[in-house]
Amino acid sequence: MSDDRTIPGEDGQSLAAEYVLGVLSAPQRREAEQRLARDAVFAAEVAFWEQRLGGLAGEVRPVTPPARVWSGIEAALMPRQARPNLWNSLTLWRWSAVTSAALAVASLAVAYVATVSSQRASLVARLDTGGQAGFVAAIDPAGKSITIVPASLTSVDQRVLELWLIAPGDRPRSLGLIEPGKPVQINVPADLAGRMKADAALAVSVEPPGGSPTGLPTGPVVASGKLINL
Amino acid sequence: MDLNAARNQLAAALARVAGGNRAALRLVYQDTSAKLFGVCLRILRDRAEAEDVLQDVYLTVWRRAATFDPSRASPITWLVAIARNRSIDRLRAGGAGRRTAPIEEAAEVADENPGAADLMESADQHRRLQDCLGQLEERQSSAIRAAFLDGTTYEELAQRGGIPLGTMKSMIRRSLMKLRTCLES
Repeated sequence: MSDDRTIPGEDGQSLAAEYVLGVLSAPQRREAEQRLARDAVFAAEVAFWEQRLGGLAGEVRPVTPPARVWSGIEAALMPRQARPNLWNSLTLWRWSAVTSAALAVASLAVAYVATVSSQRASLVARLDTGGQAGFVAAIDPAGKSITIVPASLTSVDQRVLELWLIAPGDRPRSLGLIEPGKPVQINVPADLAGRMKADAALAVSVEPPGGSPTGLPTGPVVASGKLINL
Repeated sequence: MDLNAARNQLAAALARVAGGNRAALRLVYQDTSAKLFGVCLRILRDRAEAEDVLQDVYLTVWRRAATFDPSRASPITWLVAIARNRSIDRLRAGGAGRRTAPIEEAAEVADENPGAADLMESADQHRRLQDCLGQLEERQSSAIRAAFLDGTTYEELAQRGGIPLGTMKSMIRRSLMKLRTCLES
């Protein structure tokens, strides 16, 4: 009776419950998450278990985290908050002034990405700014190259735009500088190719000429979006 | 504050977070961080790791607040799921053999303020879960609890219980199916 095949669950009921329960290995968890993104029935099953088993968290004693956790969150959200900067607010204003035409441009950009990518893309991201498309990115199946296309017109004056990969549990990793006005293809550093997955996000920050001096975003993040499987 | 009011307030704050409101994120943090830190600590058993993951949890909340759907999940369930998933991912990334610290270590500085405990599922729903867990054999329900609260893998559960891996998998899956039938009835 201990044979796995005697247990119902080929339909994903079992996998959904096991995912929420937390007994799966890292590769199995990635598999479940991929399925979560494309299988609505599976997603509903996961939601069922999260809601029902979630009550068990009531058995965990709350522990007040130290103040540095919140400081860290604030710093990550507002890296330069201490310095009121008219330039920054102008930039943000420009970015938020994108018209609804941006949506049309965004779909053109997707078509463009599909055309120029030498290989079929397996992951795409729409990097939104204030709820509207700022850039569209497509990643090749091996995770080695990104094509990123601006979906709205902007200028960044004396500064540059830097693209970041934000993978779960990791600090932002620079993918290089991009152009505000034209499509750019970027070769992904070899150590980051494996992190180009559907649970990661891309973000664009405004940086001084030459890019971030610290290796982390220092200027405002003007667009960001999650990678999604095509 | 009663449960519904607290929950609605948290859902409303999440909606403002989705709109890019940092003050609202601060409110969500104030209401829920002790609960979520407890969840992260319990799984990771390492304060530095748990602090790091907790920070990541709220940055995830910041980015994904727009995907929270109050008609499908209660806000605290959604937040706990993010905290558990991030913690389990970090735990798996750290590899086996790291979790040697005694559990007492994680339980230090327990908070007197119940905080998000108020926001957990309704008493009815919690009683239902307890009833259904109670219908399982003792070793089954304790394996389910250990897995959920500690993020324990099948392998670790089998080792702890001194039974073969396949047997543990079958036992958990059978328990889950029983649990599902009970919870739905």
